[in-house]
Amino acid sequence: MPWTFFRAKVREARICLSAGRVTLPYPYAPAPPAPGFRGLPAVDASRCIGCGGCVSVCTPGLVAVADDGPRAKFTWSLARCTYCGRCAEVCPEEAVTLSADFETATGDIRDLTMVVDVFMGSCNRCGRCYRTQTPLDPPHPRLQHEARVEAICERYRPAGAAAPTGAEVVS
Amino acid sequence: MPESAALLAALASHLDGRLVDSFRLDQSGAVVATVVAQDLRAAARFIHEGLDARFVISAGTDCRPAGQGFRVDHIFSQDRRKTWIVLRAFTSAEDPKVPSITPDVRAADWAEREFRDLLGIEPEGHPDPRRLVLADDWPAGLHPLRRDVPYDIHPEPAAGQAQPLAPPPGDAVTVPIGPFFPVLEEPVFLKVFAEGEEVVGLDYRGFFNHRGIEKLGDSKLTYNEVPFLAERICGICGFVHSTAYAQALENAVGAEVPLRARYIRSIVLELERIHSHLLWLGIAGHILGFDTVLMQTWRMREPVMWLMERITGNRKSYGMNLVGGVRRDLPSAEHPEIVRVLDRIEQEWVKVIEAVLEDTTLLMRLRKVGVLSTLDARELGSVGPTARGSNRPIDTRIDHPYAAYDRIPVHGVWKDSCDAAGRTLVRLEETLESIRQVKQLLAEMPDGPIMLAFEEALPPGCEGISAVEAPRGEVIHYVMTGENARPYRWRVRAPTYANLQALATSLRGMTIADVPITLGSMDPCFSCTERMQVVDVRSGAVRVYSPAELREMARSGRGRGGAR
Repeated sequence: MPWTFFRAKVREARICLSAGRVTLPYPYAPAPPAPGFRGLPAVDASRCIGCGGCVSVCTPGLVAVADDGPRAKFTWSLARCTYCGRCAEVCPEEAVTLSADFETATGDIRDLTMVVDVFMGSCNRCGRCYRTQTPLDPPHPRLQHEARVEAICERYRPAGAAAPTGAEVVS
Repeated sequence: MPESAALLAALASHLDGRLVDSFRLDQSGAVVATVVAQDLRAAARFIHEGLDARFVISAGTDCRPAGQGFRVDHIFSQDRRKTWIVLRAFTSAEDPKVPSITPDVRAADWAEREFRDLLGIEPEGHPDPRRLVLADDWPAGLHPLRRDVPYDIHPEPAAGQAQPLAPPPGDAVTVPIGPFFPVLEEPVFLKVFAEGEEVVGLDYRGFFNHRGIEKLGDSKLTYNEVPFLAERICGICGFVHSTAYAQALENAVGAEVPLRARYIRSIVLELERIHSHLLWLGIAGHILGFDTVLMQTWRMREPVMWLMERITGNRKSYGMNLVGGVRRDLPSAEHPEIVRVLDRIEQEWVKVIEAVLEDTTLLMRLRKVGVLSTLDARELGSVGPTARGSNRPIDTRIDHPYAAYDRIPVHGVWKDSCDAAGRTLVRLEETLESIRQVKQLLAEMPDGPIMLAFEEALPPGCEGISAVEAPRGEVIHYVMTGENARPYRWRVRAPTYANLQALATSLRGMTIADVPITLGSMDPCFSCTERMQVVDVRSGAVRVYSPAELREMARSGRGRGGAR
C-alpha cells in the first residue's frame, strides 16, 4: 500500500509539473474571443426598417418599441441580453450583428441601454415587410394590425431594395 | 409497437379490463393508459413491479378549460423494452384528488407533493404530505400552475404556512447544513440527525429558488423561445435541457429532424458531458480537501470551454437548439481542432485515472461511503452515474436512443461497488467513452440541412416525451402543444430531482465528515442563487437581506448562530 501511494503521488506531481504556466495575462493584455463568438448586440441604425422582428423573437424581451408619430423608437435594455443572437438571425436587413464585445461589466445601467430611433415615414414602401421566419414565431402585435401595409409592401418593394433611411442611434 | 401493445394488454388484464382508454402518445413510442382514478394505485403497483418499469416523474395538468377537470400522468420507463408508459387519470375540477402511489412506488414521493403544491391535486394517502416546492410564506389554496393564475402574480406573504422539518429521532443531535450548502455553494437545507459521529437520519428542505420556469413556458414564451429558457435550467448541462425540450416537441408533432442536426446535437451533448465530468472530479477533490485535483482537472477542462465558444458562440448556454434542428452548422474545417483538443484531454485523462486508482488516501475517502444498494437505487428512481455506480444498467442513450445515438455504438459503464468510489469510476470511464463517441460522430457526420422548415402552425393538443442522458443522469421533458404558438404544458424533470431522494438512504450509517462527499458524489445541481433569503422555519417569516445589510450584520456581530 505505501508503494502504490507513493507512485500515485509521483504521477500526480508529473501531471502538475507538465502543465506549465496556463494563466493568461488578461486583463493586462487583450484576450480576443474565438471567431464566431456572440457578444453584445450592435445595431446599424441606417439599415433598420423598424419591422419589429427583433422585438418578437427576443426571449428576455429586452427590445421595447414605442411609436411616436412617424418615428419608432426601439429601446434595447442590453443588461438583460442572453446572447442568443436570434435578433441578428431574423433581421431581414442584417442591421443587427452580435459583436465580439464581452466586457460588459458596468456600474451605470445607461452603458447597457441603446436607443434606435427610426424614421418610418408614410411611404407605401415603408419597409415593414417583415414576416415571421416560421409559423412557430408569432408576429409582433403591431405587425398583425398592419397586415394591409405588409401586403402593399410585398407587392411594390423590389427584392433587395434599400430601406428608407433616416434612422439613428441616439445613445 | 407490439412491445407496448403487450404491456398494455398485461395491464388491462391485471385491472380486469378496466382500462378507460389507451393510445400511442408520440413518435417516440410512448403509450398512454388511462384508468379511473380509483385504479391508479393498483395500476401503478403493477407497472412498477409486474412490468418492471422504473418510475420517472408525474405531471399534473389543468384541463379545466377543456372541461376535463385535472389530469394526472405518472410516467414510467420500461428500459429493457425501450418504452415509456404514461399512466393517466382524470379528477374533478371542484375537488381534485387521486390516490397516492407513493406507498407502493417510493420514487413518486416528491413528484406527488409537487403536483399537490403547484396544481392543488391532493394525493390521498401520501405518507409525507408536506410542502415541497412552494415557499414557506406562499398562501394556502393558491396553486401557481393552474391556468387561471397569472405568471407574474406576487401574492402577499402569508403567515403560518411553514411546515416543520422532522424532529431528531431518539437522542440524536441535529446538525444543520445550509440553507446555503457551504461546499457546493448552492441553496439547500439539510437537517442531519447524528448520534455521535454517525448519521442516523435526514430531513430536507430545498426549492428555495424555485423560478417558475414551467409556468413561464406555458404562459409567456413561444415555442422557439422556450429552448433558451430551458437552457438556463442548468448552468452546466444546459444543452441537455434545450435538446430534451426540442425533441419532446418534435416527437409530439411527428417532425423529422435532419440527420446532420441530430449528429451535431449528439456531438455537443458529449462535449458537454466531457467538461461536466472533468468539472465534477475537480469538485470531488475540492470536497475532500485535495485541491490539486480541482486545479488540474479544471485546467484540462478549459480547452473544451474555448472549443464550445468557437463552435457554438458561447462558453456556456450555447443557444444552438431550436425546434426542428440546430442553428449553427459544424463545418468540417472545425473538425481537426475538435479532435486535437480531445486527443490532448484523452492523453491527460488516462494519466489522471492511473493516479486516482493508486491514490489510496483518495480511495479511502470514497470506498464504502454513501452506500446505495442496487435495490434502493431502483426503488428510489436513481438515474445516471448515481444509479450506474450502484450497478443499475440504465443509460438513456441506450434505453431510449435519441439524436444520433442509434447510429453509433454506445458502451454503457456501470460498477457494482454501490458507493462513491463506484460513481467516481463510472464518470472517469464515461469521459473516455464520450471522447470516443465524439470522434466517431465527427468522422461519420452526413451532409445535409441542419434545420427543418415548418410550413404551418403546430396543431394544439399534441403531446410528446423526450429523455436525454445528462452528465448527471436522465433529463425528462414532457410537452403538450397549445394555442398561440406556445406550449399548453411543459414538464421538466432534472436528474438531481430523482437522485436527491436517495440521499437519506445513502447517508444512513455514514459519519458526518462523509456527508459532503456523499452528496457531492451524486453531482447534485440545485438552482442558482444570487441573493440570500433567511427563513424562520418555525414562524415561516421570510426576509431577504441585501448584500449591504449582510455586511453590516457580519460586522456588528448580529445574526451569529444562524437563522433564529
